[in-house]
Amino acid sequence: MTLNAGSEVIRCTDVVKRFGDFLALDHVSTSVHAGEVVCVIGPSGSGKSTLLRTMNGLETIDSGEIDILNHRLPGPRRELETIRRRVGMVFQNFNLFNHMSVRDNLVLAPMSARKTPRAEADASAEKLLARVGIAEQIDKYPAQLSGGQQQRVAIARALAMQPEIMLFDEPTSALDPEMVNEVLDVMRDLARAGMTMVVVTHEMGFAREVGDRILFMADGQLLVDAPPETFFTAPSDERQKTFLSKVL
Amino acid sequence: MTFDLNALQADYPLLFEGLLVTLRIVGYSIVFGAIGSVVLCMGKLSGKGPGYRVAVFIIDFFRTIPEVVLIFWVYSCLPLLFGLRMSAEVSGVVALSLFVAANVAEILRAGILSTDRGQLEAAFSLGTPVTTIWRRIVLPPALRRMLPNFVNFLTELLKASSLLSTIGVAEMVYQATVLGNETFAYLEFLTAVAVLYFLLIFPLSLYVRYAEGRHTKRISR
Amino acid sequence: MGLFDELIEASGGRYIRAGLTMLLVGAVVLGLLSVNWPIVKGLDFAVLWQFRWALLQGLVMTLLLTAAAAACGIFFGTLLAILTQVPFAPARWFAIGYVELFRNTPILVQVLWIHFALPLVSGVNTSAVVSGVIAIVLQASAYFGEIVRSGIRAVPPGYWEASDALGIPRTTRWRRVVLPPAFRIMIPPFVNMTISFFKASAILTVLQVGELMTVSTRIANAVFKPIEILTVAALIYFVFGYAISQSTHWLERSLAKREGR
Ligand SMILES: Nc1ncnc2c1ncn2[C@@H]1O[C@H](COP(=O)(O)OP(=O)(O)OP(=O)(O)O)[C@@H](O)[C@H]1O
Ligand SMILES: [Mg+2]
Repeated sequence: MTLNAGSEVIRCTDVVKRFGDFLALDHVSTSVHAGEVVCVIGPSGSGKSTLLRTMNGLETIDSGEIDILNHRLPGPRRELETIRRRVGMVFQNFNLFNHMSVRDNLVLAPMSARKTPRAEADASAEKLLARVGIAEQIDKYPAQLSGGQQQRVAIARALAMQPEIMLFDEPTSALDPEMVNEVLDVMRDLARAGMTMVVVTHEMGFAREVGDRILFMADGQLLVDAPPETFFTAPSDERQKTFLSKVL
Repeated sequence: MTFDLNALQADYPLLFEGLLVTLRIVGYSIVFGAIGSVVLCMGKLSGKGPGYRVAVFIIDFFRTIPEVVLIFWVYSCLPLLFGLRMSAEVSGVVALSLFVAANVAEILRAGILSTDRGQLEAAFSLGTPVTTIWRRIVLPPALRRMLPNFVNFLTELLKASSLLSTIGVAEMVYQATVLGNETFAYLEFLTAVAVLYFLLIFPLSLYVRYAEGRHTKRISR
Repeated sequence: MGLFDELIEASGGRYIRAGLTMLLVGAVVLGLLSVNWPIVKGLDFAVLWQFRWALLQGLVMTLLLTAAAAACGIFFGTLLAILTQVPFAPARWFAIGYVELFRNTPILVQVLWIHFALPLVSGVNTSAVVSGVIAIVLQASAYFGEIVRSGIRAVPPGYWEASDALGIPRTTRWRRVVLPPAFRIMIPPFVNMTISFFKASAILTVLQVGELMTVSTRIANAVFKPIEILTVAALIYFVFGYAISQSTHWLERSLAKREGR
């Protein structure tokens, strides 16, 4: 997009996050470059969501540093808002605004945060919905859509802010099996278009096919960072091997 | 002795006057109480500082002491303490406004805090400005969720307003007891006010039950 | 920091706090300026000590009334709740009509009706205390009955189905399967309702039944010291009411411990 391909857009340095006594992120360091698709996998409770959520300040950190698009987190509130506008996020449970139509879900943030005029926001909403394949649903309410459609609306809503980075937290885990692919297809297209993406997922096939790098987490630690081929064919870590033997 | 409708015939207009007084007092206390409740709610939501602590105490205090005690206190102590003259009706409005403020503040707070976390996460992750978050994402569903609680509290308020008869406010119960004392037709007058209250409150209760039933159905789905 | 804290802070939390503090200071200053100092200087709280036994008696009466309301309310309320489930329709109508009648009229009207109107119908004169107790118990049964009813409905349908499937006898099913979790769900509303009746007991002062509010107003009128006595009475009500409200946590914790959680 507007970024130079290959420049570093996210850098986490020694990030530590605790919930009470529990160490959710244990000195995690990594970075993401523009245009890359990084998939994060690991057993449940290993800190994948937490890591992702620190990347747009939904979760504060206890020590370490996170640099996003040349802003340092934790930083002043204004900057946090700016970062969040440039980083889109998609949730496992969609988190659509259920009391608003699909259209309003898409135009709310651009109109209020970017002061986009109504007509322009509307046009962009229509275009985005067409891009995720549900143009005809624009005047419906979230409860009237299937899970897969809702998740595609959620992706379109995030894209409406024209983000430079997209974060996905298990976007297909809450979906019925037959709807998983329609969402993965949208994500695949997005990756092909050059979007920088960090994807927490249990879809090994997708990670292998679309990911440029795979991060493996366990117990709050980032244990492996490898290209998909190496990751799946030549596991280097014991816990990674155990994990792969269970999911593959 | 049997129920004698004739007893009501001459004096029923006084009961209706009482009804109007009841409605007027309830109306004023809702208006003043609502203003107070917003301030108290902001205080309690603000989470720390002297304003927070005082708001928490005021809310707890006026929700916990009996309404009669509050009414008597306002009626007999407040004018003395501040050297004021207050009619019984004004005292009644002051007391009920405090009652409304504390209870509605708690309803507001609970409603706001029951906002789904995911909605807030999504709003934040889009970088939505805070005023928009309040106006479009937090408040509309919260107010809708609170509506049955408001109506339920309104039934409590209507019932509590009857207590103002103890300080001589000429609302329904007061009229009924005065008329009862004059004519000894207690049975007729007290039954008549009971019926009036029932007619006033029962539809509200029905709405609350309907709304809550709908709510549980939505959750269990 | 939770998301809500973040929302509050981002909405200008510190300005709100500052504004509220200023409002508070303003209210205190205004209060101090407009208060009637001679009266305040003349306040004499010693009078409370003089009447301590009377006040204590009043408090005991209040607590007894509260206990009676809660105990009888739960007992008769459970009966009413079961009545609403029986197949015999008139019994159901009676239970529902009873509950609605008492829930939708003010307790004051019920108290007055029972004390002044009922004797005209029944021909039996009841003393103030008896009328008061009847009124509060009748109303408590209606309110507690409503709680029990929704508590029973909140028991997962799977419990009924499972006990049917296991062939558990009807009484055992009620005693061991349905009522325990139902009562557990009911603890917070029970406690809230007990507080309501703790508060409602003060309404019986219209019949002068000798609970704390009756005693307080009598003393206040006799020695003409309403500020001292009513303020302290309000504080006593607050302390005990607050203590009852805090018992929810204690009850829930001790139940949880018994179930090994
Ligand atoms: N707000 C919180 N308070 C306390 N503990 C939390 C909180 N959020 C997460 N945790 C804990 O932190 C750990 C990591 O959670 P996280 O959600 O990041 O795991 P995850 O890898 O995303 O797992 P999953 O695959 O189940 O989504 C978990 O053990 C979780 O219980
Ligand atoms: Mg997760």
